[in-house]
Amino acid sequence: MAQETKAREDTGTDGAGHTAVGRRVTRLEGAAKVTGKTVYADDMKLPGMLHAKALYAPHAHARIKSIDTAKARAAPGVYAVITADDLPDYKRNDSNRQGLIFPDKEVLFRGQPVAAVLSEDPHVAEQAVEMIEAEFEALPAVLDAVAAMEEDSPLVREPLHDVDRSEERGHVSVETEETEQEGEPSNIASSAPFARGDVEAGFAQADVVIDRTWRSAMVHQSYIEPHSTIADYDISGELRVWTSTQAPFYIRDELAQAFGLPESRIRITATEVGGGFGGKIYLTELMVAALAIAVQRPVKYIMSRKDDMLAGTPAPYAHIELKTGMKRDGTLTALQSRLIYDSGAFPGAPMLPGCMLIGGYYRCDNIDIKGYEVLTNKVSVGALRAPGAHNATFAIESQMDMMANELGLDPLEVRLKNAVGEGDPMPNGQAYPAIGLRECLEAIADSDVWRRRREVEATPNRGVGLAVGGWLGGLQPASAIVCLNADGTLNVTVGSADITGSNTSFQQIVAEVLKVPLDMVNVETGDTRTAPYAGMSAGSKTVYTVGRAVKEAAEDVRQQMFELAMKRLEVEPEDMEVADGQVQVKGAPDRAMTFQRFGKLSTNFGAPFPVIVGRGSITARKMAPGFSAQAADVEVDPETGQVTLHGYAIAQDAGFAINPLSVEGQMQGGASQGIGIALWEEMQYDQHGRLLNANLLDYRLPTARDLPPIETIIVEVPSEEGPYGARIVGEPSIVAGAAAIGNAIDNAVGTRVDEVPITPERLLRAMGKL
Amino acid sequence: MPRQLITLTVNGREREVAVEPHWTLLETVRDALQLTGPKEGCGTGDCGACTMVVDGRIVTSCLMLAPQANGRDVTTIEGLQSNGSLDPVQQAFIDAGGLQCGFCIPGMIVAARNLLNDNPSPTLDQIREGLAGNLCRCTGYTKIFEAVELAAERIRGSA
Repeated sequence: MAQETKAREDTGTDGAGHTAVGRRVTRLEGAAKVTGKTVYADDMKLPGMLHAKALYAPHAHARIKSIDTAKARAAPGVYAVITADDLPDYKRNDSNRQGLIFPDKEVLFRGQPVAAVLSEDPHVAEQAVEMIEAEFEALPAVLDAVAAMEEDSPLVREPLHDVDRSEERGHVSVETEETEQEGEPSNIASSAPFARGDVEAGFAQADVVIDRTWRSAMVHQSYIEPHSTIADYDISGELRVWTSTQAPFYIRDELAQAFGLPESRIRITATEVGGGFGGKIYLTELMVAALAIAVQRPVKYIMSRKDDMLAGTPAPYAHIELKTGMKRDGTLTALQSRLIYDSGAFPGAPMLPGCMLIGGYYRCDNIDIKGYEVLTNKVSVGALRAPGAHNATFAIESQMDMMANELGLDPLEVRLKNAVGEGDPMPNGQAYPAIGLRECLEAIADSDVWRRRREVEATPNRGVGLAVGGWLGGLQPASAIVCLNADGTLNVTVGSADITGSNTSFQQIVAEVLKVPLDMVNVETGDTRTAPYAGMSAGSKTVYTVGRAVKEAAEDVRQQMFELAMKRLEVEPEDMEVADGQVQVKGAPDRAMTFQRFGKLSTNFGAPFPVIVGRGSITARKMAPGFSAQAADVEVDPETGQVTLHGYAIAQDAGFAINPLSVEGQMQGGASQGIGIALWEEMQYDQHGRLLNANLLDYRLPTARDLPPIETIIVEVPSEEGPYGARIVGEPSIVAGAAAIGNAIDNAVGTRVDEVPITPERLLRAMGKL
Repeated sequence: MPRQLITLTVNGREREVAVEPHWTLLETVRDALQLTGPKEGCGTGDCGACTMVVDGRIVTSCLMLAPQANGRDVTTIEGLQSNGSLDPVQQAFIDAGGLQCGFCIPGMIVAARNLLNDNPSPTLDQIREGLAGNLCRCTGYTKIFEAVELAAERIRGSA
């Protein structure tokens, strides 16, 4: 099925001379997805495959007294029951969630896997899990992160050692490190301070000082495809894994270390990811690989929705204390904050990015920021699209509005006055490169939602609010290969999982460099044996880094063709160009060799040219942070506390939108998740650490009924290193929603709710009606 | 467990399947009939990724038991394209950028097609209401609304 694109029909160039990038291009894999042909991990079956179902710990914190699997093993159709004792040797690290398959002494959160049953029939496996007789002795469970910091708090777990933070670094790459837990045993896994100037002096200069505490609930990525993994291991020592992941090479490296296997003997295939949002990096793969090694048969493990909510890696609850001061003219004079992120039972909470952003949007001479990553006996957390950012942004962006209100200043003007730009310091002192925060604010002022605000505010209980949000982005090396086929078409191979349409952007980049129609270029994500290395598709860096490698590989193909054409065209490479599917002499398009001719001359029997294979390999050291500004138009029902969203707009700096269609899709998708965080999404735990809403009815996601069409405005402030000036895109869109909606609600009814989601109950309580 | 023989029409073809009575229609279609387009996103009828049309009505097939589908007419995402070309709804989802990860799409498109069969000229609010049972986590729905509007326009234009 041919890819239909507007760009295809239109072969002209834009103002900058681009023929393929900067255009709205439909997905390379669109036809497969709309026909149901795309293969996700759960769609695969292997010969002899067993299904695994896990027994999840029924206590938030308990000692394992015994696990008797005799009855389960004896059940008809059960192939094996595997506990900690039955696992193959692996390098265990109890300090990391991903370093521990099944515990043997203590369970640390309700939902922690403790054993697995294998059967050819998934129903048999599920029933047999119920027959495992496990005895536990309950221990004190620590559930509140703030109370857990007290010196006399019971301990969540044994002390940490050798914490592996490599996954977190894939999401955000900043020049700073947290201080790991040391000294007396405590529930504080790590902490980090950032300071400059003198906050007390700053507050003394202020005309208004606001000091509030902001809370944001634990939320789940809620990809519609739950975690899905298949592993197979054969006697020769070859491990294959097919898994829904954003990070195939990362998993390969981790499994190689865990099992002591060479990376060349492990082959990870990132199957089509049915939504990841940071939650599908590395979680189930170690367990499934160990099960496959234990039984020497292929093993499939598909989490149910409930499993995934109990034992995935959701995004943390955060408690953020923030004190800010502002002068009458709107100058921010001081910012002091204590950020507490609830990490669950293992380290990994995104506290650092929260610290960087809470003091990272606005210029301020006096800051004092302390971040804490605190352990509790809840499921351990992971990344969700700009991990840690929305929590911190809810605090600072609510307070910017409150200070502006107190001083009678316009919320947009106050932000413009203080917004950071190129050269301004982040909390760690690192200077910002060129960024588009101001430009986003200027752009949102032009949105329909913001322009209509006076008219909207005239309606009782209706209001418009604004907030900014951003993300610093991850950095990792990347590579790509572009091969010229015999017929002149091009194959691109990359190692990055395509979670956002990145392969379509790569197709555009190659078509742009070589000036060929899009349908002459195809792109494949290879597995970790066939593809050149790429970092994880996380930290919004895929197009920014792998895109550069793809561009370089296409340029390499072009250069190789130029050099091979020298004899025949009788000019030097610098006098050649590519156009219309051929290499031609500049200014003389009739002196040319077509790509097809190069293809034949480099592949036929006895052909004179070597095979044309372009190589791109880059390292990325320069950040290209992305910002957005968002505006919400809400109506509050003062009797029920229901909030209705009438309009929503987002302006985001994409640097250069290689594919505006997919950039808009990222903006709208992230914005909708931010709206979910603002109004509905919350993992609710009871006093025993039981998750009360482990399903998609009670865990409320935004539906088509809830969301109006989201207005998008793409801002383009070029990055220094990204392909064609592109910068990070995927994550910034989720960040501002909580604050934008909180500000809109305050604008509508004059009530500030300091905890998201802003449920009807919380809103009515804040309005004094409950 | 003894299996039970059921007969159902799937995408226009009559199929006979021996099912266990507790199997859902979704697993019967996916595992026994090898039609893996419909997805299981929740198993509790909340997400809509398993949406099929049974006797002209939308069902969440993860909640329907296979024996209940005996004698019925079932359409899955695989039944939408015809004569080697995509259904206008499928094409519109591609053209409008109404898909990202694609996991919700087989259910979403089946629901959208059924919506347009019932109401060829839906308003935006009718589209929002009609698709409220199909969760999409990637798009924020904006481009899905545009896809359904585009499909409706094209279907009306070709009628």
